[in-house]
Amino acid sequence: MTNMSSQQRKLIYLIGIVVLLIPIIWLSLPSDGKDAAGGVLSQLRSKYELGEADLGDVDASSAAMNFALLGMRGMAVNVLWKDLDQQKDTKRWAEMQATTESIVRLQPHFERVWDFNGWNLAYNTSAEWDAVPDRYYWVKQGAKFLKRGVERNRRSTELYYRTGKVVQHKVGYADEATDYRKFFLADPDPVFKGGPDPVINPDGKDNFLVAREWFEAGCARERTRAQHILDRSLFRSTPARCLFDYAQALQKEGKFGEETRAAWDHARKDWTESYGRETFHAQIGPEESDIMLEMTDEEIKQQAGTPDDALRVRKAVDAYQKMTNYRYWRTRAFAEAEPEMAEAHRRLFDAKQAYKAQEFENARTAAFEGMEGFDKILKRPEYASLTDEDILCEECLLGWKIWDDIYQVSGDKIPEEFPLKWLLQMKQENQMVMANVNKQFKRLFLDNK
Amino acid sequence: MYFDPNEYLLNPYISFLNWAVVVGCLTFVVLFISMVNLVATRGANGIGIFFDELGEMTADLFHLSPRRIWALTRLTYTEAIRRKALSVFVVFGLLFMFAGWFMGDSKEIKPDQVKVYISFVLTTISWLTLPVVLILCCFGIPEDIRLRSIHTVVTKPARRVEIVLGRMIGIWLIGCLVLAVMAVVGHFWIVRQIPAESQPLLTCRVPVYGTNIEFLDREGNFARSGVNVGDIWAFRSYIEGATKARAIWTFRNVDESSLDSDGNLNFENSFSAFRSYKGDMTRPLFYDIKLFNPAKNLAYTTDPQPVNEFRHKLDKIPRKVTVDNVQYDILKDFVNEKRELNVEVSCIDREQYIGMARSDLFIRMPDRPFWMGYWKAVLGIALTLLLITMIGVSASTMVKGPIAAVLTFVIYFLSLKDNHQFMDQLVFGQVQGGGFLESIYRLVMHMGPSQELPANPAFTVVKFFDWTLNNFLWLCRHVIPYSQYFNMPEFVSNGFDVPWETSILPSLLVTAAFIIPCVVMGYFALRIRELESK
Amino acid sequence: MSQSENVIEIRNLSKVYRDFWGRPKVRALNALSLDIKKGEVFGLLGPNGSGKTTTLKLLLGLLFPTEGEVKILGKSAADVSKNERIGYLPEESYLYRFLNAYETLDFYGRLFNMTAAQRKERSEKLLDLVKLAPQSRRRQLKEYSKGMTRRIGVAQALINDPDLVMLDEPTSGLDPLGNRDMKDLILDLKAQGKTVLMCSHLLADVQDVCDRIAILYGGELKVMGRVDELLKAQDETQIRSSKLSDAALKEVQEVLKRHDANVINIDQPTASLEDLFLKTVQESRERPGHRNVIDRQSVT
Repeated sequence: MTNMSSQQRKLIYLIGIVVLLIPIIWLSLPSDGKDAAGGVLSQLRSKYELGEADLGDVDASSAAMNFALLGMRGMAVNVLWKDLDQQKDTKRWAEMQATTESIVRLQPHFERVWDFNGWNLAYNTSAEWDAVPDRYYWVKQGAKFLKRGVERNRRSTELYYRTGKVVQHKVGYADEATDYRKFFLADPDPVFKGGPDPVINPDGKDNFLVAREWFEAGCARERTRAQHILDRSLFRSTPARCLFDYAQALQKEGKFGEETRAAWDHARKDWTESYGRETFHAQIGPEESDIMLEMTDEEIKQQAGTPDDALRVRKAVDAYQKMTNYRYWRTRAFAEAEPEMAEAHRRLFDAKQAYKAQEFENARTAAFEGMEGFDKILKRPEYASLTDEDILCEECLLGWKIWDDIYQVSGDKIPEEFPLKWLLQMKQENQMVMANVNKQFKRLFLDNK
Repeated sequence: MYFDPNEYLLNPYISFLNWAVVVGCLTFVVLFISMVNLVATRGANGIGIFFDELGEMTADLFHLSPRRIWALTRLTYTEAIRRKALSVFVVFGLLFMFAGWFMGDSKEIKPDQVKVYISFVLTTISWLTLPVVLILCCFGIPEDIRLRSIHTVVTKPARRVEIVLGRMIGIWLIGCLVLAVMAVVGHFWIVRQIPAESQPLLTCRVPVYGTNIEFLDREGNFARSGVNVGDIWAFRSYIEGATKARAIWTFRNVDESSLDSDGNLNFENSFSAFRSYKGDMTRPLFYDIKLFNPAKNLAYTTDPQPVNEFRHKLDKIPRKVTVDNVQYDILKDFVNEKRELNVEVSCIDREQYIGMARSDLFIRMPDRPFWMGYWKAVLGIALTLLLITMIGVSASTMVKGPIAAVLTFVIYFLSLKDNHQFMDQLVFGQVQGGGFLESIYRLVMHMGPSQELPANPAFTVVKFFDWTLNNFLWLCRHVIPYSQYFNMPEFVSNGFDVPWETSILPSLLVTAAFIIPCVVMGYFALRIRELESK
Repeated sequence: MSQSENVIEIRNLSKVYRDFWGRPKVRALNALSLDIKKGEVFGLLGPNGSGKTTTLKLLLGLLFPTEGEVKILGKSAADVSKNERIGYLPEESYLYRFLNAYETLDFYGRLFNMTAAQRKERSEKLLDLVKLAPQSRRRQLKEYSKGMTRRIGVAQALINDPDLVMLDEPTSGLDPLGNRDMKDLILDLKAQGKTVLMCSHLLADVQDVCDRIAILYGGELKVMGRVDELLKAQDETQIRSSKLSDAALKEVQEVLKRHDANVINIDQPTASLEDLFLKTVQESRERPGHRNVIDRQSVT
């Protein structure tokens, strides 16, 4: 080697380079547009749809940045994540958001990155701000961010779900939900001139209905690409559950007309006729069978060959119904169709309003009538199972709390017997329920101030 | 908003003493080593040669010629330009053409997004000029020696110290030229990117901070700080509402000049709100500001004011205030004979907290135009460039170009805020897990920091080694500049003017402190080395 | 010879090059002592690596001596002020390749603290002196040929009108025309009363211009003295005449034989190679296409 002239050495290097290049070129030959054309990498890329354009919208800046960093992307990303953490700790929100932007430019197809940062904006950052419009702004930022994540990763099932979750859960169930839901239709930012922010709500719909669309898209995607967030039966229930959320929210806001009735009706139909008729591959222990949540005995018999089998399928359906709370929501939907139920809700709402307005006598009467209404419905055998779940019970007990409080304050003697006493006794031991009731009650009190 | 101007405070007298000690020690060490070296190689004659050389060197310093320095400066300058150093503008142009990609749309600009724009521009221009200067200063002299063109210079009456000076000035001028062009473009870019309605956000607030902040706890006793509400970041301290908890500031030198044109005293705050329960979310938390003069037993309290979290809130207090139907003049009745004004802030809402740090309440003087602060920030970058140039040039007189570049970059890197602070923590033993060898051992052996090391001689050696390294680090810590002093862009991007005494003066002093050691070191190294590339 | 006339005094000068660890690697110069007097042209001769350039660099303070002492214009080598009166042409012209000729001279002029007017005047004069074509004076030095670089190198060495000129291999890389110019220039300097120290490995270069030479070999001084004396072969006689016929030649040989002289070589005298080249160039200019083939065979 040492005796070689520099020319000879260069020649050997050149040959080495060429030899090494041949397999690389062979592997990475670009496709000429036809199927299964080009090198191995290109074929694999089209087989698994990993081309940049297959994954989602192409972002030139992101591609350019990754290219410009050569092999240093990992290092750059590390530094950015470290910065992000520090900016979060020191509450430099705008800089944090800018860092987030840079990170997703470098990791545009890393779903967890979108997921984590979207959550960070919608939940953590929003909670740091004090004014509700500010909080809403950051919730929106989170939702918008996730929406962009979806656009960049069309094949991701989970990002659709996450986007839906922010719109459904953060907007619809936060402590500030009443305001958030209003803001979702009429943004506080003057830029939108009293309308919704078109990026997250182009059609000006209720947040639960928008969330339903995201969940539906997620479910459609889920047929080809599995998700790893929830059990499949729960994941597929998300669009239908949004309808229940919607109907309940209408009630809560004091809407008891046709709109609310139709919402419950729609929710029931969707629950029993669409979601309930979906086939799931149930796996209970070692046994497997295809089941539906809404299955008649006839169908179970058909599905199962032998009576033994039928028992097994029956058990599987039971287990799935429990897991998804299927029967509760079905019963609830039927109960909500009863005019007495609607009336009871209305009276309870009246009671709350009256209490806020410090019309205590009216509040006591309305609360009592509401309690009577619920008492009657819940005592009917077909609806007895509704007491298994806490959601409705909390509402009922809030009525009692108002009624009881007015007695306490006025110093009147509380009657020995009253409607829903049995429910109170049943739930008194349940810390969670009572805490929620007290919290809701306290809120009324605060609003009053 | 995150900002603590107090970080930059520097005491010129103590710093000067510190500097003199460090420079003195360094000089002594360098001279001693070279004398020992001469004696070792030249025998007894070595001492004579050493003092002759020392005499010559000192004499050289008195024969400096501005014309020669300028000639070498021009040479450096011409070299850089002809060797296409200005191609950095291509990168600059590209970055700004595509800057929109990184910045998001500029339709909905909020105050803190303005900050992102400004810091983008200032960061970009400093990170683009930095490599240019680094390469020029570290490769200039070694290349000159390698090509032996330096032979034609040192055989002229040019002193070697003039070569060092000429290089430094020339490279710095190039750096400044590049910086100036980029800064002008950046300035226009910022102004253009920010839509007309957000233009008022581009301003330089001039704050007068309180000299100190004190806290009273809920019983009204003096406390070291307020309540910590569980933030990782212990910058702000919180006071509880509807208790005797207070935060008290003392403002010095309050006089006519502190008032605005309408005669109001403007207090601006960036308090932070913390709720122990959510309560009515649509209602903000409230605070009030009380001016008081204990000597006259006089106090004036503003109406409750809403906290505007993460933004600024301006409270105007008129010069004439009425307390108990008597009119008082703030400057006459509230400012005491020492020209101090005491200000107390309390939180009004029960069980809620308001957080504040010293810099969260200040008297806002009339704003200065944006360009003023912007160009001061550019000056900050220019001073950083000068510092790097000086370090780089003097490093390049001792070692080859690439090594000098790495050395200079490492020094710069260590001078950055986080790294310098980490070094401090290491030096003061605040980092868990021991020193260099010990921490490696612990890592490999999966040993927690609380576990004791086995007691045997090997670990005594390890500890001694780590101790030695740590002391070396202590030295480095004192020699490596703390670039936080140069962080003028931070002021501007936070919407403040760059203050003289907490930013410009310290950075000028730090730069000045490096001039003499760097020049002398560079000169010394160039002088004692044979100018042959080996 | 009084001390004051000595422009350069070298006493017992040694230089040992060391490696990275300080171990002696090469002894480039060993105990050299010599004096150079004012107004003389002194040549240091020797093959490559004999220590000529090292001596020059030690004199200029570019290298530091391992032993010994140097006085140059009465000052020590480390004293920068001596450079005011010295001009130095390095072995290869290590100039700044990104400057043009004017800028180069202007730059070096500034190093001598010359005023703008002085620099301008001196530059023009020197560029004419070294015969650098006017059209190439505004081009950057990186585009220059070796000869042109050499010319500008000489110009920069003379920018301060020095009393002592040190030339390291002044003729290397020059064509014979340039070579001749260079020698004329050196003689011209001598005529102006300047002292010139040059080193070269070509005897032909120095013999024409040098008053005294020293020959170094392996870092040691081997020969020193006046050129004509050194070149005068003490035990040989050279006779030159117009061309003799064979008969006349025979007769001369016989006469020599009679005097017991040993005939070493008889042929037609030729000029030095350099002279021949010059003549050929001149002839080919006057008579294009002419070929002068000389088949020489030495006669013993």
